[in-house]
Amino acid sequence: MSMAKFLTRRLLQGIFVIWGVVTIMFGLRAVAPGDPANMMLAEGATQELVEQVRREEGLNEPVYVQYVDYVQGLVTGDFGYSWQSNREVEAMVIERIPATVELTIAATIVALVIAIPLGVISATRRNEPADYGATLFSLLGISTPNFWLGLMLILVFGVWAGLLPTGRRPVGFGEAVLTLVRYGSVYDLLVWLKHIALPALTLGTYFTALITRLTRSGMVDELGKPYVTASRAKGLPSVLVRYKHVLRNTMIPVITVLGLQMGTLMGGAVITETVFNWPGLGLRLIDALGTRDWPLMQGIVVFIAVAFVTINIAVDAVYSYLDPQVSEG
Amino acid sequence: MQGADTTRLDRRTLLKITGAAGTTGLAAMGGCLSDPGSDDETNEITITLSQFPDTIDPLDHITGDYFDVYDHIYEPLFDFEPGEGIFSRVVEDWEAQGDGSTELSLRDGVVFHNGDDLTAEDVAWTINRTVDPEMGVPSPIGTYGLGSIEGASAIDDTTVSVEYSAAPGLAEFEFGNYARAIDKEWAIENHDAENDAISGSDPEDFNGTGPYEVVDFTSGEEIVLERFDDYWGDEPPFERVTFNADGESSGRVNSLETGETDLTINILPEDVDTVRSADGVEIRQVTSFRNIFCPMKNTVEPFDSQEFRQAMNYAVDNQEIVDTILSGFGEPRGQPVAPGINGFNDDIEPYEQDIGMAESLVEESGYGGVEIELTAPQGRYLNDADVGETVADQIDQLENVSCESNIVDFGVVSDANQAGVDPDGFEIPFYMIGWGTITGDTDYGVQGFFTIPDNPNRTFDDEELSDAILESQQIEDPDERRQQLEEVNQMAHEKAPFVFLHTQESIYGVREDIEWEPREDETVYIWGMET
Repeated sequence: MSMAKFLTRRLLQGIFVIWGVVTIMFGLRAVAPGDPANMMLAEGATQELVEQVRREEGLNEPVYVQYVDYVQGLVTGDFGYSWQSNREVEAMVIERIPATVELTIAATIVALVIAIPLGVISATRRNEPADYGATLFSLLGISTPNFWLGLMLILVFGVWAGLLPTGRRPVGFGEAVLTLVRYGSVYDLLVWLKHIALPALTLGTYFTALITRLTRSGMVDELGKPYVTASRAKGLPSVLVRYKHVLRNTMIPVITVLGLQMGTLMGGAVITETVFNWPGLGLRLIDALGTRDWPLMQGIVVFIAVAFVTINIAVDAVYSYLDPQVSEG
Repeated sequence: MQGADTTRLDRRTLLKITGAAGTTGLAAMGGCLSDPGSDDETNEITITLSQFPDTIDPLDHITGDYFDVYDHIYEPLFDFEPGEGIFSRVVEDWEAQGDGSTELSLRDGVVFHNGDDLTAEDVAWTINRTVDPEMGVPSPIGTYGLGSIEGASAIDDTTVSVEYSAAPGLAEFEFGNYARAIDKEWAIENHDAENDAISGSDPEDFNGTGPYEVVDFTSGEEIVLERFDDYWGDEPPFERVTFNADGESSGRVNSLETGETDLTINILPEDVDTVRSADGVEIRQVTSFRNIFCPMKNTVEPFDSQEFRQAMNYAVDNQEIVDTILSGFGEPRGQPVAPGINGFNDDIEPYEQDIGMAESLVEESGYGGVEIELTAPQGRYLNDADVGETVADQIDQLENVSCESNIVDFGVVSDANQAGVDPDGFEIPFYMIGWGTITGDTDYGVQGFFTIPDNPNRTFDDEELSDAILESQQIEDPDERRQQLEEVNQMAHEKAPFVFLHTQESIYGVREDIEWEPREDETVYIWGMET
């Protein structure tokens, strides 16, 4: 199969996945208990008002008509209006993307900075205390629920030690960089860094553990291969062998997982953002759930699905370029 | 071994280089660490709510957290003091005309944040926009808050006539709390406000006459206000006010402990000790106007029996619920409204748990052996799910009644409360809900639940009770009206349309040096604070 055909097939699969997500979300909205019109009006609305809202929002139409209208809207880029704020859903989604992207990238950086050295140490000192420590860390990292870890970090670093703020994002990374450029001040950058530290650590911990394990097992495999023995026999320094040759080869599956896990990280961000009141898409999703703001909920979930599918297709594309066997099936 | 030696040497070199670079970097940054946008932070306050306003139209929702923010921008026309009545603010003077209208005289020199003068036309238009469902935004403020107000018109530049269908005393409670002013021309030109709710995400999308104007707004995150220089009244105590929100009580408490916020609301009883043990902050509390109760729709069995409904009240130990689940942050109640509300009846004692009495009343009702379910919300009121489960457990203790609890999202309960009394129109006849009588008048706490004409959302069908409320709405003499409302509360106690539970306390965490007393109506006004 040519690469073009492979990517076309993946694209069609991706569209099918997104359509599935859209349909499931709409189905959930249809079967969820409660009248959306009542939720839009909150306490105290009369029946007349409720009826008026039902008419205006098309809630009296048969479900299939509402579904077709909704899908048509999505295809034309119209996600509708938030039932609570009357604002366009697209705008409400877009304005929250930077916070989630910042958090996801920061968590990835945290994971890579900690995991790769840890994985290398663990692999090169197999069955030594350092290896046991790293393995234990991986096990704990994979087993610890995000929300619990977040609360503990808040308690220790925020409340007890008073070193870091317990939540919120008073300034975005972009604004912080602008302040640096305009005024030569790193103040905003430090504020941003202080606020993102605990959420990034929380979100990145599972990922750190995963990459540590991958790096370790990859390194262990590679270290047993003949080219390593040959390199050492040639008298190459072991540091050079480990980091220039072995680690580089180990990184291929790590980078693949990195790409695939970005979507998972965005999903995990829902919990982390809620714990730290970090104003990203996840927190907005939870807020929308609380008020049963279905258009907003659907918009966010569809966006996350699109992002997830896009990242996966991009990773597949890169992977099939690097390894033509993938596209050949 | 050669490699290992090289590594050690490299690592040291690396550390030296890193240390030197770090020191140089820090030295270079020495002058760059100050906040370029900050001047004086001493005159600021940050308030953390439990819910950030998701609409910017001040007439869109009846939600306490929203009023906490928007009342500083779109101030109320009157000052309302719980238990005392209304006082002049934007409206300097007012007089009932005896023909179903009251004339309001506006203060001179009141201007909107965009510089426009406030006119009587603005006030009349805002009231009409609130009460007329065909205009602007379908507003529960109009149907409940201004329930008896029919409309308003401008008589001249500074005089507004407000027309109503009830006695002046009741109308006064309503427009005294819920009348505000929006700049008509600005709202229509910029927001098509006669056809839609005001929406937007910029500071310029707000324009009131309040003591603060919006300088920064991040939708869903934060709204920053600064003193409005041309405000007609006294200068409020803080130059700059930031409102943000955290949906979790523990999160709000963390922010308070770490100094990230100065005042926060809705602290749960289990978090109170954490605040009390922290430095520089303290708990302040007040018995609110919010009653928690369980309506029983009397158009279906077994709730059509007064004996059965009374039995449910005798089955529940309200004092124990307050003492254990609310850690004392509440008061048992036996009527629809809280103390301090006009018409609250001091003579009514809460039902006291009496299992024997409850069981015999159940037998009298003819519904012995019945199975019922109590639907209760989660996360809306103080420990609401626990309260609901305990109420159901206590009813279940009766030998002749089986009761289970069903914990749901608040929306399900809200729907049940709106569904009316037609047995074909609802599925949940017995549920737990709370109601804050924030106008300070019993009418607001009972008419939506009990009056029959033009009220398909009522939860109880009883002509005697309905007539008593309707009669009270037409009584002009304040004392006579208060007595009638006390009678309404007595009647409600006996007819037992609810399982009466408790009045909950509002619990706040506050920086110690802020002088401020919480209010029964749950509002937080900056102008009521001092430092």
